[in-house]
Amino acid sequence: MVNEVSFAAALAIGLPALATAWAQSRIGPAAAAALSEKPELSTTAIILIAIPETMIILGFVVAVLILRGTG
Amino acid sequence: MMIQMTRVRIAGPRALLDPTLRVLQDLEVVHVVRPGIPDLHPAPPDRETRRLRRILEDDEAALGHLQVSPSASVRPPKSVSLPKAAALARRTRRRAERIARKLAALGDERSVLLRYQEFFAAFAPLLDSELAWPDGRAFYVVLRVGAGDAVHRLRASLDAAVDGQIELLSRALPSGETAVLILASAAVADKVGQLLSSSRVQELPSPEGLGQSSLLRAMPALRARLAEIPKAVAACEEERRALREAVGPELESLRAWFHDRLLVLDARAQAHAGLHLFVIEGWLPGPELHALSARLLRELGPEVLVEAVATEPWSRTDAPVALKNPPLFRPFEVITRTLPLPRYGTIDPTPFVAVFFPMFVGLMLGDVGLGAMLAAMAFVIRLRSKPGTTARSIAAVAGACAAFAILFGLVFGEAFGDLGTRWVGMRPLGFDRQEAILPFLALTVALGVVHVLLGLTLAVVNAWRQGHRREALGRGVAALMVTLSVMALLAALKLLPPGLFTPLVVALLVAFPILILLEGVIAVIELVSNFGQILSYARIMALGTASMMLAIVANRMVGAMGSALVGVLFALLFHIVNFAIGVFSPTIHALRLHYVEFFGRFYSPGGNAYRPLTHWHPLQQGS
Repeated sequence: MVNEVSFAAALAIGLPALATAWAQSRIGPAAAAALSEKPELSTTAIILIAIPETMIILGFVVAVLILRGTG
Repeated sequence: MMIQMTRVRIAGPRALLDPTLRVLQDLEVVHVVRPGIPDLHPAPPDRETRRLRRILEDDEAALGHLQVSPSASVRPPKSVSLPKAAALARRTRRRAERIARKLAALGDERSVLLRYQEFFAAFAPLLDSELAWPDGRAFYVVLRVGAGDAVHRLRASLDAAVDGQIELLSRALPSGETAVLILASAAVADKVGQLLSSSRVQELPSPEGLGQSSLLRAMPALRARLAEIPKAVAACEEERRALREAVGPELESLRAWFHDRLLVLDARAQAHAGLHLFVIEGWLPGPELHALSARLLRELGPEVLVEAVATEPWSRTDAPVALKNPPLFRPFEVITRTLPLPRYGTIDPTPFVAVFFPMFVGLMLGDVGLGAMLAAMAFVIRLRSKPGTTARSIAAVAGACAAFAILFGLVFGEAFGDLGTRWVGMRPLGFDRQEAILPFLALTVALGVVHVLLGLTLAVVNAWRQGHRREALGRGVAALMVTLSVMALLAALKLLPPGLFTPLVVALLVAFPILILLEGVIAVIELVSNFGQILSYARIMALGTASMMLAIVANRMVGAMGSALVGVLFALLFHIVNFAIGVFSPTIHALRLHYVEFFGRFYSPGGNAYRPLTHWHPLQQGS
């Protein structure tokens, strides 16, 4: 039981981590390209890069809930 | 907070236009705009403007070359003779440019000669060899770093090509390059030159202007020249200093006068000037109107009339935007100003940012030790920054974040993770984040509810002020539905009396069609997105827990590394890394929570900045 729960928690954080990494790998170069032409977009760029982090953060929360929920 | 603006119209005899503008410039409160007169087109820049810009360009170029730094104490002269000012600026610019060119040439020459000197030092011992071949020709070659073995190959191929009628000498340079001297007899000199050229071995050219074709024979002249250059530079510097002292203050004063005059001319281009009358319109903060009328009456008499066109309601979109916050909140304008200014009549979110931003960062950092480090960093930035600069604002924001981090550190009982507990028996005043993860999650989501509801409430105020009553009601119903949903959830979880659940659900069902009637079907999507955005505040808990875990891992390093010293070093490194992450990550996420979740409810960008007609301030304005 413990192994399954740990595996579920690992999936809950691992899959969103991959998704976040993929999203940021696409946003990062686009933001860098935009910033080279319009440096005033830096705030927008930071926000755009931070947006996919919601996935891993919520994944982390879910992983904690899974682990806590089973004591 | 946004200052409420009043639109004023100033009218008077044409002859009093310039004096009126000068009074406005002294008062520094009126943002001049074109009067609302039909068929009135902006006047093209006049001859005076073009002439002033030309003279100012000479003046600023001269000051730049003379290295005169802007000073806040410069005052413009009372009156200026333009021909004299133009002649002075032009003459000084030419002299200053000549000195600057001379200095640049001397600097270039010195760096080239210093480079040659390095090679000469290596070739000098070979001088006797060259002199032993008076009828031959010398070739000077520098081989790049790591090409030392190329010397042997070069020697072998040249020997083979000219049947040994060369001598090749080499020395290593301090830079790692290799200096090579090739001496060839007159009969084979041309062939050697061609071979070097065809094999792309570059010869070192003789420095120009030393009167010697041979590199080595130029050495004494080169050394003499190197000794002369500092004296020549000192003479140029002295000439520049004398020129700066002679005309610098006058040019600075003239620059201030030209800028002031150009600002007045720009404002005059906005005014309507007929044959007999002029009309100026502009915006100023409401309370300044009385002072403006009194000053114009005192200085120009009753012929110049001032009237408030209207104390405009917040719905005027063309009014300029000026933010004025209490000193405690003002540094947080650095966060709101990274976005375009809010539209006139909407709410300036700075006071709310000043409360929630440091609170969110503090909640995420939540550690007395890391908070103290952040406070120290804020103190250093403050010491190294000047008042009114962005760096000073950042120092204030960081200070507020540090205060909240220390406060929440006490609440959570954390100082560098569990180090406070282990060393000084620190106990949480509130709850332990390591144990009470779910209460911490509930706290952050509750904060999300408050923040999003506040955003919705501000959206209601914005829409109401702008006269969009239907939109205001729609936003109000959305805010009410979010509140009812949260309360129903709490009742379902028995955190509120369970008997409230049914009435709350009924109220929700009643509010739902009203929302669709007011805002359309899209409102349903927005309503659902509100809940998603409330959950987004769980990041505060996630980042806070991660930061705390990292600190605990750092502390465990001490015992886990075998050697206490290595463990302490690793722990210190880990804490420093944790601090860097702990400053960067919470800042980014607190910003995101504000820009996306909070501002997204109500923020309406697109305001025109309030730029009153002022005197030129050298430390604030470029030109």
